[in-house]
Amino acid sequence: MQENYLAKWLNGELTETELAEFKNSDEYATYAQILEASKALESPEFDADKALTAIKNRQTLNDSKVVQLHPFKKFIRVAAAAAIIMFGAYFYLNTLDEKYVTDYAESREILLPDNSEVVLNADSQITFSERNWKDSRNVKLNGEAFFKVAKGKQFTVETDAGTVAVLGTQFNVTQREGLFEIVCFEGLVSVTYNKKMTKLPAGNSFRVIDGRIIATQEQSSLSPSWLNKESSFKSVPLKYVLEEFERQHDIQVETKNIDIDQLFTGTFSNTDRELALKSISTPSQIKFKLEGTKVLFYGE
Amino acid sequence: MKTENKDNVCEEQVFGAIFKANSKTVFNYIYYKFGNEEKAYDAVQEAFMKLWENCGKVSPVKAKSYVYTVANNLYLNVIKAEKIRLKYADRSLKATNESPEFLMEESEFKEKLDRALNSLPDNQRTTFLLNRIDGKKYAEIAEMEGLSVKAIEKRMHLALKSLREKIDGI
Repeated sequence: MQENYLAKWLNGELTETELAEFKNSDEYATYAQILEASKALESPEFDADKALTAIKNRQTLNDSKVVQLHPFKKFIRVAAAAAIIMFGAYFYLNTLDEKYVTDYAESREILLPDNSEVVLNADSQITFSERNWKDSRNVKLNGEAFFKVAKGKQFTVETDAGTVAVLGTQFNVTQREGLFEIVCFEGLVSVTYNKKMTKLPAGNSFRVIDGRIIATQEQSSLSPSWLNKESSFKSVPLKYVLEEFERQHDIQVETKNIDIDQLFTGTFSNTDRELALKSISTPSQIKFKLEGTKVLFYGE
Repeated sequence: MKTENKDNVCEEQVFGAIFKANSKTVFNYIYYKFGNEEKAYDAVQEAFMKLWENCGKVSPVKAKSYVYTVANNLYLNVIKAEKIRLKYADRSLKATNESPEFLMEESEFKEKLDRALNSLPDNQRTTFLLNRIDGKKYAEIAEMEGLSVKAIEKRMHLALKSLREKIDGI
C-alpha cells in the first residue's frame, strides 16, 4: 500500500489492485461507513450577504473615524523633536553673544563677567561673548556708553568708527552718526581710528566729527555728565546736540531756518524737558515750539 | 475599465466577489477548528476587515490565502489567549436522515462519528471536514493552511485512521 492510502482512496487515486486489497481488509467496512455518514454532515448556516453588509458598515465606521495609531508613540515623537529643538536652541543661544539694548530716554547699567561696569546711554547697544570673555575682553558698541573697566587683560571696545583698547580704566565712548568721541576719566586709553593709534591719558578726550579729528581737550569732570542725568557738550555742532536731545527725551526734532552746524557748548537736563529745551534754545538764540511728541526749533 | 478594477481589492466589486467566493469557507474553516459559530463569524469579519484595510497591498490573487492566514492567526491567538480547547462537540453537526429504518442505526453511527470527530486534533478534523463537507480538494486545503499537498494527505490519512479506530473502539 502506498503512503497515505486512505487519503488517496478518498480521492479515488488508488490503483485497482490496491483498491481490491483495501476492500478486502477488515477495516474497510468502517471506512466505507464513515465515508457514507460524512456525506450527511453539514456545517452551520452562514449568511454571506449579511456578513458582507456588516463588514461594509464597519468599513464606513472605520473610514469616518480618525485613526489614532499609537497616540503615545506620536507624543513621544513630538516630544523628541521638541527636545532636539530645545537642545539645539540652547546650544545656539549659548554660543550667541550677550546683547543689551537701550531705547530712547533709557539708560542701563550692565555688569560684565569680570565685574567691569558699563552704563549704556539712550538708544545704544552693546554685545559681547560671555563664553570667550576670559580669552578676550571684547565689547561691540553702537551708541554711547561709559566704561569702568576692572584691571586685567586688554579690554577692547569695538565700534564702527574705531576701536578703543584699555587695560583698566574709566572712559566714555560715543559713536553716533558722524560723531566719535572718547573721553578718558582714569588710566590710559588707546584709541585706534583710521588705523591710527592715539594714546589718551586721563582727563583727555578724542573726538572725530564728520571724519575730522578734533584736537584733544582737557576734561575736568570725573565721569560723563549723562551719568548725572545731564548731557554736556563742548563745541559740538548743534545737530548732534539735537540728536542727543531726541534720544534722551524720546521726542522728534524738526528744524527750520537754523544753522545746525553751529557749535554748541552747554548742558541740558535729561529729565526735565522744558528746562532742556530752554537750555538748548537760549544760548543758540533760536526758538522752539512743542507739539505733543514733536518739537520744532526755528529761527527768525 | 473592468479589467483595471480587477487589479485592486480596494474596488468594492472586487472585494465583494472575493468575499462571496471565500467567506463561507473561512467561516467553516474556523468553525471546524473551534466548533463555535460566533467565533467563526468573528473570524470572517476580522479577516476580511484586515483584507480591506490592506487592500492596496494585497493583490486579488493573493487575497484568498491572505484571508485564510489572517483567520488562522486569529484562531491561534484566541487559543493562546483563552488557553482552552473549545469543544467542537458542543453543537454537533446536523445530519439528515433519509428514512426511518435507517434512523436508529444511522443515528447511532452518526453519534459515534461525531464523538470521534470531536476527539480528533483540530488540524485533522478541519482537513477532513473541509474535504467532506465543503468538497475542497487537497490542493486547496494545502493552500489555505500554507502546507504541501502531501502534508494534507497525511492529515487526511491520519484523520480517517483515527476516526475508524475510535468508531471501532480499538
